[in-house]
Amino acid sequence: MNALLIAHNTFREAVRDRVLAGLVAGGLALIALTRLGSALAMGEDLRLTVDLGLSSVSLLGLLVILLVGTSLVTKEIERRTIFNLLSRPLPRPVYLVGKWAGLSAALVVVASALGATLAILVTALGHPGHAPAIAQATYLAILELSLLTSLAVLFSALSTPVLSALYTLGFFLAGQWVDDLRRFAAALPDPLRATLAFTADMLPNLALFNMRSLAAGGESTSALHLGLATGYAVVYCGCVLALASAAFESRDFK
Amino acid sequence: MTGTDAVALPRVRVGLAWAVALAFGAVALGIAQEAVRSLPGRPPLAELAYYPSGRALRPASLGHGETAADLAWLRAVQYYGEHRRSDLRFLQLEQVFNVLTTLAPRFEGPYIFGAFALAQEGRDFAAAERLMHKGLDSNPRSALLAFEMGFLYFVRPGGRDLPKAAEYFERAARLPGAPAPAARFAAYARQHAGDLAVAIVLWDEVRRNSPNRLLREMAEREIGELRTALRTGRTEVVVRRLTTPQVILR
Amino acid sequence: MSAASPSTHQPSSVRSQDRPASDRSVAGAAEVPAVRVEALSKNYRHPWTMRVTPGLTDVSFELRPGEIFGYLGPNGAGKTTTLKILSGLLQPTGGRAWIFGRDIRHVESRRPLGFLPEQPYFYDHLNGPEYLEMVARLSGLGGREARAAAVHWLGRVGLGEHARLDLRKYSKGMLQRLGLAAALVHAPRLLILDEPMSGLDPFGRRDVRDLILEQRERGVTVMLSSHILPDVETLCDRVAVVLKGRLERIALVGELVQGGTPRIELRIAGQPPPDWPPSLAGAVRLAASGVDGVLTLHEPAKLQLLLAWLVERRVEVRSVTPMRTSLEELFMAAAEDAAFHATPLRRSA
Repeated sequence: MNALLIAHNTFREAVRDRVLAGLVAGGLALIALTRLGSALAMGEDLRLTVDLGLSSVSLLGLLVILLVGTSLVTKEIERRTIFNLLSRPLPRPVYLVGKWAGLSAALVVVASALGATLAILVTALGHPGHAPAIAQATYLAILELSLLTSLAVLFSALSTPVLSALYTLGFFLAGQWVDDLRRFAAALPDPLRATLAFTADMLPNLALFNMRSLAAGGESTSALHLGLATGYAVVYCGCVLALASAAFESRDFK
Repeated sequence: MTGTDAVALPRVRVGLAWAVALAFGAVALGIAQEAVRSLPGRPPLAELAYYPSGRALRPASLGHGETAADLAWLRAVQYYGEHRRSDLRFLQLEQVFNVLTTLAPRFEGPYIFGAFALAQEGRDFAAAERLMHKGLDSNPRSALLAFEMGFLYFVRPGGRDLPKAAEYFERAARLPGAPAPAARFAAYARQHAGDLAVAIVLWDEVRRNSPNRLLREMAEREIGELRTALRTGRTEVVVRRLTTPQVILR
Repeated sequence: MSAASPSTHQPSSVRSQDRPASDRSVAGAAEVPAVRVEALSKNYRHPWTMRVTPGLTDVSFELRPGEIFGYLGPNGAGKTTTLKILSGLLQPTGGRAWIFGRDIRHVESRRPLGFLPEQPYFYDHLNGPEYLEMVARLSGLGGREARAAAVHWLGRVGLGEHARLDLRKYSKGMLQRLGLAAALVHAPRLLILDEPMSGLDPFGRRDVRDLILEQRERGVTVMLSSHILPDVETLCDRVAVVLKGRLERIALVGELVQGGTPRIELRIAGQPPPDWPPSLAGAVRLAASGVDGVLTLHEPAKLQLLLAWLVERRVEVRSVTPMRTSLEELFMAAAEDAAFHATPLRRSA
C-alpha cells in the first residue's frame, strides 16, 4: 500500500517533468522521420520504420532511465525530501520498490505510446500483420526497461547520479553482449572460462528481450520466449531490488 | 547497553535482504540457462541483417566503418559457420556480406569468402557474381579479386564458365601483384573452352615469364600439343570435357 | 546553580534531578515516557582515512508525555544527530531509544511521530494539498481522512491561498510552514522539530509558537531543537544542553533563568573613554559591536555609578538591559569552545 503511494508519487513527478514529454515527442518525431527516410531504404522502408521505431522505444527508455532514474534516490537524498518519508512508518525496502514501480510505470506509458504509434503507422501503410509482432516487441522492451530501472535504483541508492548513470549504461552494454561473452568463454582454458562464464551469468541477459529483427519482418515470437523473458525480468528485478534494500538499510542520511 | 544491541535489528533486516537477493538471483540464473537451452539462438548478425543498406549504417558507425566491418566480418564468419553446421540455410548471406563490404569496400576478404559461400552453400550464383563485381568496381586494380573472380566462374556449380574464367584470369595476370598461377590458369581455361589460338598465346607467356622451370616445360608441351591439334584439326585431344562442379554439403 | 563546566557528566544524577518529585517513580510507572534514550552514541567513520569522529557520546534522557522539551546547543553539537536517530534517519552506533515504549529500531515506532527536519524541501511538481495528502497516507490515514487533513493543515499554517502553487515556487518561509504542516497532518503524539523557527519572520515565529502551544494543550509531546534562546525559554518546560556530542545539562527552564549571576548590558554610542574609574574597573567588560559599544556590567549594584560616569563623559547611552545569565553564558562559552577546537562538523541538515 505504501509502495503504491511512493510509486504514484514517483510516477507523478516523472510525468510532470518536461524531460519525459520531450523524449516522447522525440520518439514520435523519429518514427515520423523514418517515413521520410524511406526513399533511401531501397525498398526496405517498412523494415526501416519498424526497426528504428522499436529501437527508439528501447533507446529513449534507456535515456529516461539514465537521466531520471539514476537520480531517483540520490535527488531525494540531496534535496532531503527523503527525510519526510523515512521518518514515517515506511520501511526502506518498500520505499525503494515504490520508486522502481513508479518509474517503471512511467516507462510503460512511454513505451506503449511509441509502440502503439508504430503499430498504427504500420497498419496504415498496409501491413496490419506486423502489429502483433510490434506489440510483442514493445512488451519485451518494457520488460528490459524495468530491469534496467531496477539497476538504476540500486546504483542510485549507493552512489552519485553521474556514477549511477555510468554503471547503468555499462550494464546495458554488457547485457547486450552476454551471448558473445559466453561463446568467448567456451573457447578459453578452464579457470578463465569459469570466471568469464560466471560473469556472463551475473550480467542481465538483455538479448532475451530483443526480438526486433523478427518484428521487422512481421514475425511473432513464441509464448515460451515471452514467458521466460517475463519470468527472468521479474526475478532479476527482485534480486536487484533486494540488493538495493540491503545496501539502503544501514545507510545514514546526514 | 553495548553497540551490538543498537545494530542488531538492522543487521537482521540486511541479512534477510541478502537472502532474498541470493534466492531470486539463483532463480534468475536458472531461467536464463533454460532460455539459452530452449529458445532458438539469436542470429548473430540479426542487428546488421535488417539494416536496409550499409549506406545507412556507415554514418551510424561514426567514422569507425572499418572497425565495424572487422566486427561484422567476425560475425559473418560465425553466421556462416553456425548455419553450415546446423540447418544449411543461408537466407541472410547476401545481405550480410553486402553490408560488410559497403562498410569496408577495400576489404577484399569478404568479397571472396562471401562470393564462394553464396555460390556454393548459398546456391545463389547470381548473388555471388554481384558481390564480386561490386568488389572489382571498388578495387579495379586488385589482381587477387580478378583472379578469384576467374576461379568463381571456373568452379561454377552446375557448369563451368570457361570463357569468363579465362577473361578474368587474363585480367588478373596483367595486373600488378598477380598471383603466380593466373597466367597459367588463363591459358588452361582458354584451352578447354576451345579457344585454342588464345590458349597458345597465353601458354607462350607462361613459357617466357614463369620463374619455374617445370612450369616452363609444361607450357612448352602444351603449346606443342595445341599447335598439333590446330594443324590436324583434332581439337578434342586437347580440349577435355572437364567435370561439372557440384556442391556437396555434409 | 552555576553554569556547568563541560568536563564532567553523570547521566543518572542528571536524570533524577530533572523530574519533579511527584514524578520520580521509575519501575512500574503509570505512564510510558514519550521518548526514552539510553546511552545513545553515534560515531562517524571517514570512508577514506578510517578516522572515527564522535558525533554523540553516551546521551540519556526521558521525555514525559505532554511536555515541551528544548534541545539546545551550538551548530555541530549533536542536536540534529539525536533527532535524526529518533526519526530513523541515522543508525546509532550504541545505546537504545524508545518512542512511547516502542524500540526505534522498529519501523512502527515512528507511527506516532511527526518530524520537521531543518530546512525542509519538497517535490518540485506537487502542490501543497497533494504533498500533505501523500505524507498523511504514509503515516496511516485513510484516503478521505488524509485529504481533509491536508486541506485543514495547509490552511492552518497559512498556506491555504497557495493551494494550487507548485512546491518548487515556495519561498523559504513557505517551505518551513509546509514542513510543519507535514509534521502535524496525521495528528502525531510526538513532535520532533529541528529548528522550527528557521526562515520565518517574527509573525511566522509567533504563529509557530502558538501552534506548538496549541499542540501541548492537546497533550502532544514536543521536542524541539534550536539555537534561538528566547524561543526556547518561552516555549519549553525543560531544556537539555548538548555540547560536542554530550548531554551536559538538563534543567527546568525556570531554574536556569533564575540561576546564575545577573548582569546588565549597556549599549552606548561609539566607544567609551579609556580611563575607567577604579571603582568600576573589573566590574565592566567591553565588547565592541560595530558602531555601538557594548558594556557588560557584572555587578548590577554599580549601575548608577556607571551611568553617572558615562553621562559625565558625555557618552550617549542607548539602552540598558538586564541579562538572563546562565543559559546564555553556558551557550556562548560552548559556542566559543566548539569554534575554537573546530571539530569536524557534519552538515546536519
